[in-house]
Amino acid sequence: MPMGTPTSDGTPKNTGYYVWVGVFFFIVIGVAYSLYYATLKIDYVWRWYRIPQYFLFKEQVEVRAQIQGTVHRITMKEDLVLVEVKEGDIKETYPVPAKALRVREGDFIYPGDVLGAYPRWRVGILMEGLWLTLKVSLIAIIFGVIIGLFGGLARISKNPAFKWLAITYIELIRGSPLLVQIFIWYFVLGTLINTILARHGLIQIPPLWFGVAALACFAGAYVAEIVRAGIQSIHRGQTEASRSLGMTSAQSMLHVILPQALRRILPPLAGQFISLIKDSSLLGIIAIRELTKATREVVTTSLQPFELWFLCALLYLFLTFTLSMFLQYLERRQLIT
Amino acid sequence: MIDVRNVHKTFLSPHAVRALVDVTVKIEQGEVVVVIGPSGSGKSTFLRCLNHLEAADSGHILIDGIDILNPKTDINKVRAEVGMVFQSFNLFPHKTVLENVTLAQVVVRKRSKAQAFEKAMMLLKKVGIGEKANGYPDQLSGGQQQRVAIARALAMDPKIMLFDEPTSALDPEMIGEVLDVMKTLAREGMTMVVVTHEMGFAREVADRVLFMDEGAIVEEGTPEHFFKNPEHERTRLFLSQIL
Ligand SMILES: Nc1ncnc2c1ncn2[C@@H]1O[C@H](COP(=O)(O)OP(=O)(O)OP(=O)(O)O)[C@@H](O)[C@H]1O
Ligand SMILES: [Mg+2]
Repeated sequence: MPMGTPTSDGTPKNTGYYVWVGVFFFIVIGVAYSLYYATLKIDYVWRWYRIPQYFLFKEQVEVRAQIQGTVHRITMKEDLVLVEVKEGDIKETYPVPAKALRVREGDFIYPGDVLGAYPRWRVGILMEGLWLTLKVSLIAIIFGVIIGLFGGLARISKNPAFKWLAITYIELIRGSPLLVQIFIWYFVLGTLINTILARHGLIQIPPLWFGVAALACFAGAYVAEIVRAGIQSIHRGQTEASRSLGMTSAQSMLHVILPQALRRILPPLAGQFISLIKDSSLLGIIAIRELTKATREVVTTSLQPFELWFLCALLYLFLTFTLSMFLQYLERRQLIT
Repeated sequence: MIDVRNVHKTFLSPHAVRALVDVTVKIEQGEVVVVIGPSGSGKSTFLRCLNHLEAADSGHILIDGIDILNPKTDINKVRAEVGMVFQSFNLFPHKTVLENVTLAQVVVRKRSKAQAFEKAMMLLKKVGIGEKANGYPDQLSGGQQQRVAIARALAMDPKIMLFDEPTSALDPEMIGEVLDVMKTLAREGMTMVVVTHEMGFAREVADRVLFMDEGAIVEEGTPEHFFKNPEHERTRLFLSQIL
């Protein structure tokens, strides 16, 4: 067998290996090109240049006078100028960026006249959607982990109340569709809670939080099972050794079992988090404008489904890939310590 | 120091096994008792009942006058006084050697980090692993790991040490180093209960030998009596098989 150069995993590779690497790239590029070719066939016009505006766009901001009068005085205040408009006893002051100023002292102004105009960067709807997806997912992940940790501990508890509650929760959540759970959280629990809050004169909880709750509870059930499996995978001798030293079961769990279980838990947990990010796309149905819903809205107005849905997929990929890299980093760092 | 009276223990699953049958034995302070017997005779179960890793079904077990089968007893307090060394070491793999020895001191004995560190280093030097204190257990040989496990148990200042076949998982050339540590401990007056197949150790160190078979203590006596003229037929048969 001819020997090639050693690669990162240390084993020398032969020429056959590089042929198969070539096959890989050939297939990937082939599929991408066929897709492009197919779009040519159906007369689709790619307009990538129109995409960036949905992330960031320039908006013209105009400062208009509310009253009628003369520009009485213009004073500098850092890089702003204060435009004072006065007629008789009525006086109003408008702050305008120095560069955007369009009037001079002594000018006569009617209500609605532009005192200054300047462009300003605004984040577009896709950017907002991406941010919302990230926010919702992270909060749900954090709560999901907390729920899952306690759920998993309850699941292996000897106390029948804890144990059976955990089993009921896990089976109910894992056995029903997330879509249905989101509806229940929003239309049933959400209505209930908000009605009760309203009756007591308290503020309403926005739909976003019911969506987060649905996701967190959903992820929590899976995390609970992952935690349970992780804990049970630790050899019984570890518990016996720590208990024989006089540790309580809680101390043994905290100092000996959980730190070891965490290592084994991380890879399946990463999978769960990735699922959760993607599952957050269902929140669109309760009027949360996360990435998928934002994309759908843009598609209906711009009629550019190809660019937008590809981009949407890429953005999800970006989120999940970043997360998975981060967890791999944690895993590697843990293995060293 | 240890007072065991009429203890029974039956395992129900996977099938009913009478692991301990009416075990009665008294062990005095400073005594070194070696327990021998064929596989499955209940030696481990006996040892594990002494620190309540296994709950005896009936009878009384008094450790330093405390009835550990009484549900009101704080078993963690008793366990802190009873060190245990396992056949498979059971060191904490995610902690350094030093942390293995300090953890329970800090968590259970509530010592300061500095105190625990000092004690740990003293004990690690004593068992001959001072220079490996910052390594991880999996970087040590079996014999070294077992010595760390002994140091970990000793760090709690136990009144009693239980050893369950501490050398059975070791390569032959490492058995000696672990037995040496145990001999030193015996010489220093530690109360020890040792399950082992090392008859040399029993002969040299034991004050008393217990022979168990089918969950019962069949015969007990000094090593002298035991190895020279055992009374029971089963003891003789067992000794002839292993010597
Ligand atoms: N947790 C358990 N569940 C069920 N049966 C058990 C359990 N532990 C021990 N036994 C059974 O109890 C009997 C005594 O076991 P024990 O481990 O005390 O024997 P031993 O003398 O230590 O044997 P060995 O020399 O093989 O370690 C055996 O028949 C064993 O199968
Ligand atoms: Mg045994």
